[in-house]
Amino acid sequence: MNPKDLCTPREHHFSRRRWLGVTGTAAGALGLGISSPPALAEAVRKKGKQVLLVWLDGGMSQLESWDPKPNTPFGGPFRAIPTSVLGIRVSELLPRTAKQMHHLALVRSLCTKDNSHSAGVDRIQRGDPKNRGVVYPYFGSAVAKLVGPGESGLPAYVWIKPGNGGFIHKDAGFLGPQYGAVAFGDGKPPENLPRPASLSETDDQARNRLRLQADRRYARRHRKEAVDANGHVYEMAAQLQKHLDLFEASPQATRDAARYGSFDLGRHMLLGRRMLEAGVTFVKVNSYGWDTHGDNFNGSLSLVTKFDQAFAALMEDLAARGMLDHVLVIVLSEFGRTPRINGHVGRDHWPEAWSAALAGCGIKRGIAVGKTNDKGTWVTTEEHDIGHMFHTWFHALGIASEKTEYDNHGQPLPIAHEDCHPIKELLA
Amino acid sequence: MRPPIKPNPKTPVKSQPKEGKTLKLQQQVCIVRFSPCGKFLVAGGFDGKGHLWDATTDVLTPLQALTGHNGWVQTLAFHPDCKRLFTADTWGRLCCFSYAEKRDRPLWTVPQAHDGWLRQVAVSPDGKRLATCGRDGAVRLWSVDDGKKQQEVTSHGDDVFSIAFHPDGKSLVYGDIKGVVHQWDLATGKAGRTFDARLMYRYDRIQDVGGVRCLAFDTSGTMLACGGTQPKSGGFVQGTPLILLFDWQTGKLRHTHKIGADNDGFVYDMAFHATGFVMAVTSGQPGSGKLLFQRPGEAQPFFLSTKMANCHSLAVHPNGKRLIVSATNGGSNGNGRQLGKNKDYPGNWSPLHSWEMNY
Repeated sequence: MNPKDLCTPREHHFSRRRWLGVTGTAAGALGLGISSPPALAEAVRKKGKQVLLVWLDGGMSQLESWDPKPNTPFGGPFRAIPTSVLGIRVSELLPRTAKQMHHLALVRSLCTKDNSHSAGVDRIQRGDPKNRGVVYPYFGSAVAKLVGPGESGLPAYVWIKPGNGGFIHKDAGFLGPQYGAVAFGDGKPPENLPRPASLSETDDQARNRLRLQADRRYARRHRKEAVDANGHVYEMAAQLQKHLDLFEASPQATRDAARYGSFDLGRHMLLGRRMLEAGVTFVKVNSYGWDTHGDNFNGSLSLVTKFDQAFAALMEDLAARGMLDHVLVIVLSEFGRTPRINGHVGRDHWPEAWSAALAGCGIKRGIAVGKTNDKGTWVTTEEHDIGHMFHTWFHALGIASEKTEYDNHGQPLPIAHEDCHPIKELLA
Repeated sequence: MRPPIKPNPKTPVKSQPKEGKTLKLQQQVCIVRFSPCGKFLVAGGFDGKGHLWDATTDVLTPLQALTGHNGWVQTLAFHPDCKRLFTADTWGRLCCFSYAEKRDRPLWTVPQAHDGWLRQVAVSPDGKRLATCGRDGAVRLWSVDDGKKQQEVTSHGDDVFSIAFHPDGKSLVYGDIKGVVHQWDLATGKAGRTFDARLMYRYDRIQDVGGVRCLAFDTSGTMLACGGTQPKSGGFVQGTPLILLFDWQTGKLRHTHKIGADNDGFVYDMAFHATGFVMAVTSGQPGSGKLLFQRPGEAQPFFLSTKMANCHSLAVHPNGKRLIVSATNGGSNGNGRQLGKNKDYPGNWSPLHSWEMNY
């Protein structure tokens, strides 16, 4: 393959020009009044399967969240509290989520391979497949490919994160850039997305015709995937122009903001819910700063309690709207944290025995699968790698992961690690 | 990053503290204190116990541990009568023990003195009252005799890390996560001044980092010292150990002592020596512990030891000549599966470092 045929990140960066250049080629508008409950209910019924992934980057401590071990050598200072499910206890730092436990499924048997961020983030989000000389897609891109964008016309894979936004093509791996993530930096739409008042609709259409002409010339000299990806960016921009209300304040949004929290993770989880309501297939919400090598317990007091506020509000809303029937919810990091408490009163990286939380479509509710020993050092039941989770998630979405393959230019590739299997106890 | 600090060369070597024997504990401890009579040493542990030693000789002899707590025993304070010891844990329990005699059960207990992590306890100079603060944002006063609650401030809201009585007994100060030190006038029961220690706080991403971790008055009550860190980042938590010294009379910040580099972490514990200098211990990135003696206003500590991996607490003997520093063992950190010699998963432990002073 000639390198010049490949797309560059720059080509897919959301510039003002890119975002403003399209209005006439857009697909049909969604016409969804998200603040109107009847309209929302109708839209929800029409939707296919969706996913919300909450990614706590750096590694949430399982001992200060889903798998507490109070009064044990590595248990830390916190208590465990009862939940809405008899027999399941979580850390006292999750008081609100504890009340939503009947919607949740905990996995306390994760045993994965990487204890470094650089390898772990990629490997976990790509499902740690066997090495076949290709870069596998992140779960978000995989779902964008296998489930599709739905009828909303919105991007299939949206990433809400602190910091910068843009088009994150690398997530897509061999699937090609059109399955990459559209990232909303700081939960905001790309700058200058609306057509400026100084630009008339007629002028805008003329400008767009010119762009399309240039695109056709570009297409003659580049491979189809690159051209498609390029056009895809413009289409997404056009759709987003019609959904700016997703980002706008309203009385309801103000009330929701108070429930979810005014901090980044709260705002971003709320936006995530609204994106799901509007029909986005896969929403990833990132929070950074969970790598608590030092002062872990005060750090967890601050971080986990904020997660708790936002996540409990989200679960409450998804349940109240009936969305848990078709939305798969995943809370995950790249690994857990060491039982051993270091001299900086922190916990280091621990992929050996850690936890994740799931909810929603295809997932049993109010259960905890897998166990760790009394000290929380090792898994005492069957260990589950990320490949098991990928199989489970695909099955929850109605995709037979053992039988489904990607077609990478004629090369068949399994969608999840073939040595792993779905965790049946988790599946509804 | 600030350059590493060096001991003040003007200080005569003969006056430097000398390190004595080190006692290796099986578990990690958070706090260590001598009894006012100097005969006992106690340490609060991650195992929810108060570990007690006979300290009448150079060799610490273990005594029956004080039990009944949960979580960590992170704070404790002796009564000046040399008979009673107050301990508290991270689940909110407050206990009073007769440590010299009957140790098998507390004299009294308040099971839920605070909702969760009880951060610090302090005994009033007249020995009549006990003050506590917690992560529930409350500050409370208790009778030392029976543990009955006398007064409280619950409207504060923020996590309160540290607490100290002024030597005149008329005021109580408490320091919070946001770096604000509040004065509570005990005569009127009203809130008094605040001291601005906000250098000790940072909001990083969604994390509140830092806080006033310890407070101490000099013996005359003219100076208030606040210990903590100047945070640089959350998560990993990087920050420079920081001591702020306030003039009690005017409330003005007189001296700012930043000790070390970004990865040196927190001033976790400190005390004024009778001659007026501050003794403090620091802990940051594993292996970066310090014991330092700092004269107010001087550019550098006149004594600095970096031999101890991570220092968490210091106990000053009432004779002023003996010092015990509780620390964490070296090599305490590491990612992933690191097994011990017997293929077991090793925990960390605390050495108790003994020092002799001649001031």
